[in-house]
Amino acid sequence: MRNTFALILFSLFVGALAPALAAGPEDLVKSMASEVTASVRSLPPDNGGVNPQLTAIIERELVPRFDFGRISQIAMGRNWLKASPAEQKQITTEFSHLLIRTYSNAINNLRDMDVAVRSTRSNGSDGDVTVRTQMVGRGSPAAIDYSLSNATGSWKVYDVQVEGISLVAAYRDEFTALVSSDGVGGVIAALKKKNAK
Amino acid sequence: MTLSLKSLPLAFVVSFALLGAPVQAAKKPLPGPVAAQVEPEPEIFDPFEPVNRGVFMFNEVFDAVITTPVKFLYTNLLPDPLRRGIGNVFDNLDDVYIGVNHGLQGRGNLAGNDFSRVLINTSIGLGGLFDVASDMGLPKGKGDYGVTFGVWGVGPGPYLVLPVMGVSTLRDTVGRGLRIASDPRTYLEPIPGFSLTGLEYVHVRSRNSSTEDLISSSSLDKYRFTRSLFLQRRDALISAAKQSH
Repeated sequence: MRNTFALILFSLFVGALAPALAAGPEDLVKSMASEVTASVRSLPPDNGGVNPQLTAIIERELVPRFDFGRISQIAMGRNWLKASPAEQKQITTEFSHLLIRTYSNAINNLRDMDVAVRSTRSNGSDGDVTVRTQMVGRGSPAAIDYSLSNATGSWKVYDVQVEGISLVAAYRDEFTALVSSDGVGGVIAALKKKNAK
Repeated sequence: MTLSLKSLPLAFVVSFALLGAPVQAAKKPLPGPVAAQVEPEPEIFDPFEPVNRGVFMFNEVFDAVITTPVKFLYTNLLPDPLRRGIGNVFDNLDDVYIGVNHGLQGRGNLAGNDFSRVLINTSIGLGGLFDVASDMGLPKGKGDYGVTFGVWGVGPGPYLVLPVMGVSTLRDTVGRGLRIASDPRTYLEPIPGFSLTGLEYVHVRSRNSSTEDLISSSSLDKYRFTRSLFLQRRDALISAAKQSH
């Protein structure tokens, strides 16, 4: 009897503690950004070109915290539903490769920067949040805002805005044009061609 | 640079008349469940796309043949501190305009910050060679006449690609014309005037090299990609200026 009571107490305690232990969106963004900058800083200076070490940092720190399926869906907009499940999978694979390469090229600029979280605001009614950060260091500060969703049970990033610019939105414009000229297959072909370069 | 000064006032009137119609094109959200997940993008209004694409291609060739080699010489011949000093001098002149525009936008505190920067950098910073003000906690501002027009409610109008100067909109081109008309360099003798403008151009372009490389390596259709990034950026600057009122 006493054991049962202790067990109930224990489970109540754990139940109350668990949400506090799960990483909130703010902590996730902060640790991700500071790990990325710290990793970049530890590399020797680099003068452009695809750097496998930078790609490794992105694969390790960023990829697990990004929801590339949802990113691809947003970039396709309403055309997402025109793609078959197999095509959706292909788009997600190719597009995530392109994004990883893009981010790898971009993070070199964050070498001398540190992250500071400015605010977190709720983003609509579906529980999504936007974590607004500022990269500070040498040169003028750069605002980077991350949109995150908790739809899958853990917080994942589905959009990044650098100084108000969303790459996903820019790709959506390209994808829309490709779908209307060459169909969904045109998007896959263009992504494959770009990734092969 | 390329605008004749005599025709400027007329150009403003005509441009503002043109800006009226397309400007307030309703921002219709895309239908469908996934559309609402990202911030709404600025409306893309590009009625001159064929011409713009032509100029864009010309600019690509111009960059490959002229800008890139000159940029290479500039970054490799001039030591880093000297280039930073050159950039600071142009930035210092630009701070005057940023201050004027913050004033016109009714953001007095920011204007005060900008003019303090100019005073400090011109005196202690030896004519603007050193950006002492940033180290003293007065950060560099952002903004230009185009942003001010946007804050006043003027829409972007059609997207334009200008020869050599690059991406713009009708509103921002008018802003740029105003800037050129009010820039002391415009009234210098042609040789020093153009040399300074050219130097600033090369400096700015070499400073933006990594962004430009990023666009080239990431885009599927560089014209579209650049247009989206530019319009998003202008929209963000204007919304930020409006929000801080």
